[in-house]
Amino acid sequence: MLAYTLRRIVATIPVMAVVALFVFSLLYISPGDPAAVIAGDQATPADVERIRASLGLDRPYLVRFAEWAWNIMRGDLGTSIFTNLPVSTMIQQRIEPTLSLMIITLILAVCIAVPMGVIAAWKNGTWIDRLVMGFAVLGFSVPVFVVGYLLAYVFALELDWLPVQGYTPLSRGVWPWFQNLILPAIALGGVYIALIARITRATMLEVLQQDYIRTARAKGVAQPGILFLHALKNAAVPIVTVIGIGVALLIGGAVVTESVFAIPGLGRLTVDAILRRDYPVIQGVILLFSFTYVLVNLIIDLLYTLFDPRIRY
Amino acid sequence: MGMSLMDRRVLLKAGAGLGAMLPGIAGVSAPALSQGANARTLRFVPQANLANFDPIWGSQYVVRNAAALVWDTLYGVDEQIRPQRQMVESEEASPDGLTWTFRLRQGMKFHDGEPVLAKDAVASLKRWAVRDPMGQMILTIQNELVAVDDRTFRWSLKAPYPKMLLALAKNNAPCSFVMPERIAKTDPFQQIGEYVGSGPYRFVRNEWVPGAKAVFERFADYVPRDEPASWLAGGKRALIDRIEWVIMPDPATASAALQNGEVDWWENPITDLVPTLKRNRNIVVDIADPLGNIGAFRMNPLPPPFNDVRARRAVLQAMSQEDYMQALVGEDRNLWKTLPSFFTPGTPIYSEAGGEILKGRRDYDAAKRMLAEAGYKGEPITIVVAQDQPITKAFGDVSADLLKRMGMNVDFVATDWGTVGSRRALKTPPSQGGWHIFHTWHAGADCINPAAYTAIRANGDGAWFGWPKSDSVEAARDAWFAAPDIPAEKIAMDRLNKEAMDFGLYAPTGFFLSYQAWRRNVSGVVKGPLPFFWGVSKS
Repeated sequence: MLAYTLRRIVATIPVMAVVALFVFSLLYISPGDPAAVIAGDQATPADVERIRASLGLDRPYLVRFAEWAWNIMRGDLGTSIFTNLPVSTMIQQRIEPTLSLMIITLILAVCIAVPMGVIAAWKNGTWIDRLVMGFAVLGFSVPVFVVGYLLAYVFALELDWLPVQGYTPLSRGVWPWFQNLILPAIALGGVYIALIARITRATMLEVLQQDYIRTARAKGVAQPGILFLHALKNAAVPIVTVIGIGVALLIGGAVVTESVFAIPGLGRLTVDAILRRDYPVIQGVILLFSFTYVLVNLIIDLLYTLFDPRIRY
Repeated sequence: MGMSLMDRRVLLKAGAGLGAMLPGIAGVSAPALSQGANARTLRFVPQANLANFDPIWGSQYVVRNAAALVWDTLYGVDEQIRPQRQMVESEEASPDGLTWTFRLRQGMKFHDGEPVLAKDAVASLKRWAVRDPMGQMILTIQNELVAVDDRTFRWSLKAPYPKMLLALAKNNAPCSFVMPERIAKTDPFQQIGEYVGSGPYRFVRNEWVPGAKAVFERFADYVPRDEPASWLAGGKRALIDRIEWVIMPDPATASAALQNGEVDWWENPITDLVPTLKRNRNIVVDIADPLGNIGAFRMNPLPPPFNDVRARRAVLQAMSQEDYMQALVGEDRNLWKTLPSFFTPGTPIYSEAGGEILKGRRDYDAAKRMLAEAGYKGEPITIVVAQDQPITKAFGDVSADLLKRMGMNVDFVATDWGTVGSRRALKTPPSQGGWHIFHTWHAGADCINPAAYTAIRANGDGAWFGWPKSDSVEAARDAWFAAPDIPAEKIAMDRLNKEAMDFGLYAPTGFFLSYQAWRRNVSGVVKGPLPFFWGVSKS
């Protein structure tokens, strides 16, 4: 197990290297010029050119890539072209809101979606099943920002229960922190709940047909015990897998959610950086997201052993 | 995610509109501040993200606006657009106009407690002059700029420069903000690392989250002038202890936050949401800047067919400014007017000379004939349109339709503003990544006269994008700089507008205004080319 974990961690290095090369190259060939954005609309072409030179953007691709890659290897993500702040500082400023949003969404989604899927499988073919699946279709179909706007209108503007926007750090209290995240988490969680609920239902339907479930019933195990102790544990591997894969959905959805609810997180940082062509920030954030995704999948792989003793690494 | 911003706006507009009709929307969800603290903190939603904070290095308006809180200027324009003393106590110009001697006010301090000295002003002016069009003109005739003593500095010239005080007072970016000498010695093409000014507010750097929040606190040692405040001039009295700039990328969210009392002042509500805000009795909506904006598209005079003045004039002959303005602003005639000029209407030396080509019936047949005479044979016309800017998107759609009606073969390149910014700097043929047309707009404050009006230049390689070359346009511009008084300036402006119109320097698409909105418990908000925070209070 330890050897496997180490092997997997080492294997992330080439993955991250490919991501780094891909991200850098993509930005290099994409149109746009941060110097033009910095200089402003009234600047002359000569001003833009001077700024570009001062930023080192006129240097050859290989020189820039080698310098950047060398710095990355030393743990230096570079400095933002615009803010003059280290990219690591900017990420540090923004990571708490995004992490908070993702964790709350994840907990919310799992707590809602798994029971929904289990109940839908148990009540297969009934109106409850159709209701749950109808909700899942809705969750997949309605864009995050639509849900976000509707929630903001109802719960912030009309009922005045929750704030429209912003983020309060956890250090200022749990409730202020939580109340800013409720609406964004629900908005972001919709598609995630739909995904997990559908997978849970499908897997549970298969597991509920197994012989050992019939045996458990014959032995007089109560229905909740059958569903949540016997069936769900055996259905867990695909569910956990989809939860891991869904982290990518969360990262993508966070970009939109953070814009709609004006949350100063990594998603907004990414969008702002892309619009301005702040290359070091874009590269740094994408590397971080990629690393997170790889790490989450590693954790999921390791979790398999908890749910299925037959799996050995 | 596939829907456009406009679609999302429409969606929330419905929701926000309903919300506005509800009585007594209170801000219970605002951050937990006591009532007193809440009244001392103003939350402001700026027009854009404050991504950097060096008003010389980056000349975006949002940077200029924030910088005006932190850094003071030697002079400032008032609402009559006249330069007035600000940090300067007195000035003296020699009879031949070649030497200017300035004396600073006593008792001014930087935010780090150091006194403001003449050497700081000198270093700041040197850095500013490299980047500013008027400063660059002064540099070409400069003998020396030196500090005489702690409060006095002298600028000696080889030729008179009648617009000296305007150059030091203007609100066009970059403004001549005064920084401590150690900071002002930074290369003008490099970003400064310290944000220490002597203005009425100090920048709270450790609370700055670029893209999310910027905080300014009242500078207790600031000594305002005795005169009443008027734009950048007069006594800048800070009545609010703390100003928080809250960056909101989504206009619908900003609208909802303003209605909910989570923010106090929104600099630029989009037109679609204004009716909703106007219906809310807790919100005041008014014109933001009476000097407004001038819409524009530039035809590249390097590649055919626009290398022929007849092709450029053909477009001017056919274009309808009403179409552009209605596409952008809608039917509210209070917000726009047609503009047979390159200059800001309603200002003292405004001119429409030569603007007849933009007036009257639009004649596509005449335009087609002119195009044919210019040798146009159906080659693709590349219009580069930023879709992420509502203004350029609206203008781009109208231009594409206009050119098609004129029988032109339109190559419509839909892209983002960042790409337009780099593509318009290319001189290569349009088929190799260059361009024929791009759209933009100019702040009316920049277009009152030629002083800081980059887009009116026609000095070839030194000119703005498109690099137009016209000696007659440049001569007319020089005449304005040499004009000793207002009547002479007016004559020069008539000549300049006519020459630029005859040359087809660019196509003005009309003059338009925009709104600002604030909570009714905020008072002292004035109309101007930038948000002025001095004199603003909150109950």
